[in-house]
Amino acid sequence: MQQQTPVIVMKEITKTYYVGGEEVKALDRATMSVDEGEFVSVIGPSGSGKSTLMNIIGCLDMADSGEYVLDGQDIRRYSEKQLARIRNRKIGFVFQNFNLLSKMTAEGNVELPLIYQGVSLGERKERVRLALERVGLADRSGHKPTELSGGQQQRVAVARALVTNPAILLADEPTGNLDSKTGADIMRLFHEIHGAGNTIVLITHDESIAGQAQRCIRIMDGRVEEAE
Amino acid sequence: MLVQNFKMALSAITSSKMRSFLTMLGIIIGVTALVVMVSLVNGATGAVTSEITALGNDMIVVSVMDDQGRPLRLAEVGDIKALEAVDQAAPLGSMSATAKHAYQDEVVTVNGTSAAYYDIQGLELADGRFIKSTDVDNSSYVAVLSNKAATELFDSADVVGETLTIGGRSFRIVGVLAEDDSLMSAMMSDMSVYVPFSVEASMADQPYVTAVYASAADPNGTDAAEEAVSGFLLQRFRQNEDAFSVINMSSITDAMSSVTGTLTLLLGGIAAISLLVGGVGIMNIMLVSVTERTKEIGIRKAIGAGRGSIMMQFLIEALMLSLFGCIFGLLLSWGILEIVTAIAGSISFSMSVSTMALAVGFSSAIGLIFGLYPADKAAKKHPIEALRYDG
Repeated sequence: MQQQTPVIVMKEITKTYYVGGEEVKALDRATMSVDEGEFVSVIGPSGSGKSTLMNIIGCLDMADSGEYVLDGQDIRRYSEKQLARIRNRKIGFVFQNFNLLSKMTAEGNVELPLIYQGVSLGERKERVRLALERVGLADRSGHKPTELSGGQQQRVAVARALVTNPAILLADEPTGNLDSKTGADIMRLFHEIHGAGNTIVLITHDESIAGQAQRCIRIMDGRVEEAE
Repeated sequence: MLVQNFKMALSAITSSKMRSFLTMLGIIIGVTALVVMVSLVNGATGAVTSEITALGNDMIVVSVMDDQGRPLRLAEVGDIKALEAVDQAAPLGSMSATAKHAYQDEVVTVNGTSAAYYDIQGLELADGRFIKSTDVDNSSYVAVLSNKAATELFDSADVVGETLTIGGRSFRIVGVLAEDDSLMSAMMSDMSVYVPFSVEASMADQPYVTAVYASAADPNGTDAAEEAVSGFLLQRFRQNEDAFSVINMSSITDAMSSVTGTLTLLLGGIAAISLLVGGVGIMNIMLVSVTERTKEIGIRKAIGAGRGSIMMQFLIEALMLSLFGCIFGLLLSWGILEIVTAIAGSISFSMSVSTMALAVGFSSAIGLIFGLYPADKAAKKHPIEALRYDG
């Protein structure tokens, strides 16, 4: 593999919550990096701080201290508006429970991030078509989420994440709500996407899923360690 | 982006039609109340004002109340007419008398006047002619009957050339006035007979002028004419303001319009309160909607919607709710006004463009103001907490 520039660089990231007056260190000087084109999994039990890590990687939240550079951009003291812009352009989310808008069709859901980018109608339609084709749902574009199976819904979510050509695809337990066969299908899709050159960060508590990634990062009690 | 916001708002509104309709109901009722009330007052005002204008909007009525031993003579009416701001002037002496024809007798108002009275009052003849100045000069026993007086006495309006006795004197009928179907004449029974001023003066034993009707030279110059006539009379009565009174008919119109203006404001204000209540209804439902859609807000924020986008989305939704309500309200008002016009018959009530603009403007303002708080609440939701929301 040739020398790659890192997409994610985290140094000494700390995030502290106060629950009932007690201090909980969700992340304790976490340091990690992900290179472009890498398929990295983050594994840890519940309560290990992986959700917090994902929120910070996904720019849904900001770290208390430490340095986080995403795609060459130093995410520090950003306003909510700037964070929303970064989420829109650099990150594609795939959630455990799909998080599709139930009143919109598959096409409408995939189109939404492009609307927020201000992309023109013609280009939007074309990119939505390509993204749905990529996940193998071109013939289902007019269906609402309730008319789709769980696996199909997750494919729509993946299409929505990919349509903006983000720097990273951030998946949080993408197979958690699926049966093992459909889950395997989704993982195959992730491998395909990775094969096409996308950077993927997959967060899970499932060893067999995590094992499919090129590299596995373990998180325990807010501390990040590389598992070789 | 804005177009998309409108599409989103439209789909959100149409996805729960019943709820949207009930939310709009407050605005619908408010707009209907506002438009119907204001239009009714405007319509009635228009009808009454045109009646007053028909009576002679440029008319000035002079009454001599205390002549201080120097009464106004008929010749001096000519002096008033000669004033620059005055077009015409006619004396008027009135008395009651019994008019007889064959076995019919009726009490009539005998108006002694001159030829100019016809134009000043804007009278219309059905047949014959009005009093002429030669009639006044010669004290001719000629009479012009109002249409009602003619039909009461003769059972016919075709009576020119007939004779009748008024107060024991015999008169030849030279003219009959046209039927007057205005509101004013309907209110006052119009049993009048017009005779030359000189004749009425001798009948009433009042040879002096106690009332003068004058018209302004310029239709908009009634105030100037009033001033000129007052000035003339002040000089005539040695600066005694209590000797006479001058009534300007246009000032009655002015007073009317100020009264109806206040009425419009009052009724419009009451209607505006109901619109305000409708706005509270919108805010209520929008707050519920924001809570219900917390997850949606979270998803939208995760895929890159900023505060501004979310704020705009909900604000436009509130605005559209109130504007749709406004449109329904305007349609309803139009229907109500059509029905009222059909029932009222003589008066036509219609929505003016300014009233519609007022309704649209007020509804938009209400939608925006009462949408602001829910939209702000939606925009401020934290993406992580919103995503976790299970509703």
